[in-house]
Amino acid sequence: MIKAIFYKEWIKMRWFCFVAALFLAGFTAYALLRVQRVITFKGAAHIWQVMLEKEVVLIDLLQYLPVLLGILTALVQFVPEMAQKRLKLTLHLPFPQRRMILLMTGTGLAALVVLYAAQTFALWAYFRAVLAPELVARILLTALPWYLAGLTLYPLTAWVCLEPTWRRRIADMLVAAGVCRIFFLSESPQAYDGMLPWLCALLLCVLFFPLLSVHRFKQGCQD
Amino acid sequence: MTDSVIECRSLTHYYGERLIYKDLSFEVPRGRILGLLGKNGTGKTTTINILSGYLQPRSGECLIFGEDIRTMRPATRARIALLIEGHVQYAFMTIEQIERFYSRFYPRWNRDAYYGLMEKLRVAPGQRISRMSCGQRSQVALGLILAQDAELLVLDDFSMGLDPGYRRLFVEYLREYAQSEEKTVFLTSHIVQDMEKLVDDCIVMDYGSILVQMPVSELLATFRRYTFAAPQGSMNLPAGAGIYHPAVLNGRAELYSFDSPATVRGVLERAGIACGDLKAETMNLEDAFIGLTGKY
Repeated sequence: MIKAIFYKEWIKMRWFCFVAALFLAGFTAYALLRVQRVITFKGAAHIWQVMLEKEVVLIDLLQYLPVLLGILTALVQFVPEMAQKRLKLTLHLPFPQRRMILLMTGTGLAALVVLYAAQTFALWAYFRAVLAPELVARILLTALPWYLAGLTLYPLTAWVCLEPTWRRRIADMLVAAGVCRIFFLSESPQAYDGMLPWLCALLLCVLFFPLLSVHRFKQGCQD
Repeated sequence: MTDSVIECRSLTHYYGERLIYKDLSFEVPRGRILGLLGKNGTGKTTTINILSGYLQPRSGECLIFGEDIRTMRPATRARIALLIEGHVQYAFMTIEQIERFYSRFYPRWNRDAYYGLMEKLRVAPGQRISRMSCGQRSQVALGLILAQDAELLVLDDFSMGLDPGYRRLFVEYLREYAQSEEKTVFLTSHIVQDMEKLVDDCIVMDYGSILVQMPVSELLATFRRYTFAAPQGSMNLPAGAGIYHPAVLNGRAELYSFDSPATVRGVLERAGIACGDLKAETMNLEDAFIGLTGKY
């Protein structure tokens, strides 16, 4: 049964995952080409100097991509479930309902983790060749909250999608937007280092939010 | 052990301040096909939603196989096949994919029953459900239900959007399947003629209550339309006391009743209404439904 649940999610997500991977690869390649161009013309030392003096991490272009992918992944998975109230079919299957929803969100999160990990690996592989390990760590630690934002916005978007009433859905969207803002309060490199455990705790907390919407769906809440 | 597959007790539900029904109780016996009939807004879909666990009634409870659907064990859910209004299915899947998906959940899955029906559709196995006609989608939904080999089938407005050919195919296939396999079926439909061919028992709902629950054969044998020449001038036909929806149209009075012609004649004469040419006739299910619920 678990295989069947993954199978359904895969059918919904496969084309999106392919396009998302291309999209992410394109943006990552473009960001790295921009860095490489500067290195070619002015040398790697210039990049080191800019990073230390101007507090930049060179990959700002990629800042909002994880959030965008997190939101789109949830939409791809859960809009088809709510169209024509197909969630009724899903919840009627002879499988524990909460486990079903958590497996569905787990599939989406796993896909996002793979995409983010691939991008992080590409960044690490490139920068370790041109920058000192401390600067590479600085770039990746600065990017970490962006990925956490993507992973957090995924269950929040699922929560919004699965909510059965529009009034509550709009309220949920505002909450999700507020939570999203927390991840982008500062643009300084490594500004979130001390907050990373709290951001992880926030992610763990919102992982279960979709269950609240499912509970309301089962109660028959409607506009 | 009870012989009722579905037991609904004292259901009361409101949408906001609007009462849908109060203290509604009914049972569906094992092995019967029961149709829920009612005009729009009388609470048919509300009842199906409560039965399938997607609406919490204000009070009362619904038990299926002795369990509350809202806290039902997955193994018990496997014994219930659910058809959602509009033959909704996972439209992003193909015929093959959806069969592969569902088959993992049902231990008694009957692949041949599904593909037997799909052969009639003349569609490619790789065709996506979203690209099928409404009639074809209805057959996919029916095929999936038959393949589940569930003991209870709950079908919400199964005839919605179907042309007469597909409606007939659906009704005949379902009737044969339910009878040969001794399944219990609880269904609603807007097309009352289809119900007549399909159901053993019917519940006729009016706003807020159940008017009758009885075998269709008994309803058709005992519920009659009475007509007679309406006398000149105004006439107050007696309502209540076994008389349903009396009216005068084009010089003829019309009323409906479960009572015998002699009883109805007596009621009319006691009300001072001459009914010398009183004519009684039995009806088909649609006319009986109109007689019970009224035209408006």
